[in-house]
Amino acid sequence: MRHVFETMGTVVSLDAAGPSPALLADIEGIFADADARFSLHRVDSELSRINAGTLSMLDAGPEVGEAYALAAEWRSRTEGCFTPTRPDGLTDLNGVVKAIAMRDAGAALVKGGIQDWTLVVGGDLLASGRAPDAGPWITGIIDPADRSALLCAIELREPRTAIATSGSAERGDHIWSAAGRSEFLQATVVADDIVTADVLATAIIAGGDRMLRTACGRWPIDVLTVDRAGRLSATPGFREALAVPVAP
Amino acid sequence: MRKRAVAGSILASMGILAVGWQIGAATAVTPSTTSGGASGTAGASGTAGASATTAASGSSSGSGSAPAAPSAPAAAPASSSGLKDGSYTGASEQTFFGNVQVRLTISGGRITDVKALRLTDQGGRSVQISNYAAPILRQEVLASQSAQVSNVNGATYTTEGYLQSVQSALDQAKA
Repeated sequence: MRHVFETMGTVVSLDAAGPSPALLADIEGIFADADARFSLHRVDSELSRINAGTLSMLDAGPEVGEAYALAAEWRSRTEGCFTPTRPDGLTDLNGVVKAIAMRDAGAALVKGGIQDWTLVVGGDLLASGRAPDAGPWITGIIDPADRSALLCAIELREPRTAIATSGSAERGDHIWSAAGRSEFLQATVVADDIVTADVLATAIIAGGDRMLRTACGRWPIDVLTVDRAGRLSATPGFREALAVPVAP
Repeated sequence: MRKRAVAGSILASMGILAVGWQIGAATAVTPSTTSGGASGTAGASGTAGASATTAASGSSSGSGSAPAAPSAPAAAPASSSGLKDGSYTGASEQTFFGNVQVRLTISGGRITDVKALRLTDQGGRSVQISNYAAPILRQEVLASQSAQVSNVNGATYTTEGYLQSVQSALDQAKA
């Protein structure tokens, strides 16, 4: 069953069998809380007030501190390719907030006794367990040259069940590259957790080939990139995960 | 096609090893020969490729790395290239990517093998040196499209963007 709702300026699609209305309300609440706290489109959000100088980060809720610490840690790990600081100096935690909410929603589903589900939020995906046909969940990856078409499809096998795609053609308001135009049009990262997948997809768009090499060598991830000429590159694990074609 | 792709990934891996070798060799590779004090002579002659022997044994670059260890007892006489046959183990070297240590084998005056003995990240975990993205042909991935997908993954979309998305169509089909 699909449960679709709008939050954080995008849409959440939850595919799960049998979640209770109370559990669904909890899941929606996780995203609503994050939006109320971190949205820069709301002048009264804690993060907006921190940016305006009317609230100290130390006086904000612990969730703000956790998100900022996580973003700062990833900035250091990616040598600044991923950063919570916008060029205009404002703090924007969108790069980790959505992934943290997805992580927490996934934990709530498992705690609620739901084992098999997928959660798609604004193009990023977290999966658990098996698809209704008892096989692995299969997800398509959008072709950046034609957003109504798929580039390929892969199987999400445990433990690598989190997948995030970043694109330089999109609004991608948390990708700021000092180097200017990205070498890559699109970067897809499959990881064991959604924060790692989301952050590294962003970092690879911002940091280009150098960051791609660093990321592949340093974290257990599978990657597919599309460069500006439409050329693809993939890690061995990504090739192996390519879905088996259906016989014609 | 598959063959080309595999060859590509192998070449990519070799590129990494070559970098690793340069890091190790340029700073602290000690010849493993046992011919008295002669170990420095090949390097002193200043021939091409002599970086493998120029480390003046023991002066391991001061980066706090382990001393180089001899790993082969005997060596053949130096060939015309100035490189003595044998195995040479570099010191463990701290680099931007973590600790790197390589061993190279010289046979007939040529480098015939380079092995990464140690490659770790800054957290000390061993690194999957084969996990590098290599070129892949579009045709290679296209066939997978025909699989039955339950969701799609793409660059972030907004609420408006969702309405035109493949995800939206799938959600309606599976509602």
